[in-house]
Amino acid sequence: MVRWQRGLWLFCLPSFGLLTIVLLWPLAYAIYLSFFDYYLGSDVRTFVGLGNYIDLLSETRLWNSMWTTIVIAFGSVALEFVVGFALALALYGNRIGTKAFSTLLFLPHIITPVVATLFLKWMLASNWGLVDATLLTIGIEPPDWLGNPLWAKISVILADAWIFTPLIMIVLYAALQGLNNSLLEAARIDGASNWRILRHVVIPALIPAIIFTISVRLMDVFRFFDTIYVLTGGGPGTATETVTMYTYQLGFRMLQVGKASALGVITLVIVAVLLLTINRMLTRIYRKGDQ
Amino acid sequence: MSMRSQGRRRGYLLFAALCIFTFVNLIPLLWAVLPSFKYPADAFTIPPTLIFEPTLEYHREVWFENDFFRYLINSLIVSAGTVLISVPCGTLAAYALSRIPRRNSGPILNVLFTIRMFPHMLLAIPFFVMGTFLNMIDSYPLLILALVAINQPFTIWLLHGFFLDIPRDLDEAAAIDGCNSWQAFRIVILPLARPGMTVAALFSLLMSYNEFLFALVLTGVETKTLPVAIASFGGEDISLWSISAAGAVGIMLPIVVIMLFLQRNLVSGLTAGAVKG
Repeated sequence: MVRWQRGLWLFCLPSFGLLTIVLLWPLAYAIYLSFFDYYLGSDVRTFVGLGNYIDLLSETRLWNSMWTTIVIAFGSVALEFVVGFALALALYGNRIGTKAFSTLLFLPHIITPVVATLFLKWMLASNWGLVDATLLTIGIEPPDWLGNPLWAKISVILADAWIFTPLIMIVLYAALQGLNNSLLEAARIDGASNWRILRHVVIPALIPAIIFTISVRLMDVFRFFDTIYVLTGGGPGTATETVTMYTYQLGFRMLQVGKASALGVITLVIVAVLLLTINRMLTRIYRKGDQ
Repeated sequence: MSMRSQGRRRGYLLFAALCIFTFVNLIPLLWAVLPSFKYPADAFTIPPTLIFEPTLEYHREVWFENDFFRYLINSLIVSAGTVLISVPCGTLAAYALSRIPRRNSGPILNVLFTIRMFPHMLLAIPFFVMGTFLNMIDSYPLLILALVAINQPFTIWLLHGFFLDIPRDLDEAAAIDGCNSWQAFRIVILPLARPGMTVAALFSLLMSYNEFLFALVLTGVETKTLPVAIASFGGEDISLWSISAAGAVGIMLPIVVIMLFLQRNLVSGLTAGAVKG
């Protein structure tokens, strides 16, 4: 059996070989590039050590994009979580047509993100978009949804929420279905109010699923690209320019691939730190709730 | 008695609330689907008319006069290529990982899960630079390899779950009957793994069909995929609205069909990180 199991490592070869070539090697190359002042298209690349990192960290544009990312991340994840959790509870309590509801509610998440964003863009288009047209009909002067720095941020948050709330809803709904029914029954017989059942039975049981969805979503926001690219392109000005969007501008518009790689590495470090912090924080809350 | 009727009333209220929310949530979708079938005269009335003479003119125009049919072929080539590389390799690795001791497979699975969180931008830059050097920008293989890179960890994760559900006793029985590990996999396990592989293939198909960032930076005129095409096509320009709406609705259709097949497996796929890579 031991010899038999040794044969199994061969099964991993194609996949791990592939991952080395298309994932690990490019990543190592990106880290290597981040130490060079390198404009794609010129023949010279100068080794600058940590120069790119120092340049980036002393730039206001970087810190602005960082701030924008944080605002959009926390805004959208909070909104998604509240709405998604409420929907999961509603589906759980609902008796008729639950499957149809979950399918229809899930649609915005599964369709191509670019297409979903275009749908929203056509809702928000000035004058002829449904939102503007409706507001104008009832005599309210609508704001410039995508052209005003504050409203553009809000629009991006709403777009992200429209696309990702279904994900949180479906994961939490699945977790709810896995709940121990006898526990709920017992609490109900003891005369606990719905609110108390939610607070003391349901939420503690859902903690793993909640940790999972929130941390995945927070990290996803650092990869969030399609929606901002299509909806605002990072504008107006740099009002909705997240770190990812800024990396795109650096790498693919200005072709400063060395500096862009450095920014990519910075993002990676942030995401890793975020992952650890969230997990530690939520696990601690979980333990406290247990006692 | 009164408690039960109170419970029933609450049930109706919940149902009504769900109906309203679902409808409002789908308005952006309807706002694109309806005009794609409308003549301009009907398209811009507020409130939108629900009874109108439908037309397929814009759908015909976008697919056959604006090259979207070619972009669809590009999308299909890229998606099929990704699935054909990613799923077989992922299946083998996932099987092995489900059969070796947990202390060995655990760390590997954790690394794979962490890789899923990588900012894609950090991978897009070296692909772009290397693609430029190798003169491979705007070619299918480059985009396929990039999509395999982001898809492979997910595929392994998803399939690993399926293989865990296939009892180990089966492999052990095969081993006692004298099969080596390849024969045991090929003859005993593979037929049982087919449903799981189908699900993994469909999710990978969805992911590569929906992918935007790599498609945007690695393709050009020749290999542009549908998301890139529609993004550059449909913006704020009202004169192009009906036609780009038709394009967007067409892109959405196959996804809706796949989703109906995947419904039962949606959660396992999502927790492994489907759809959005």
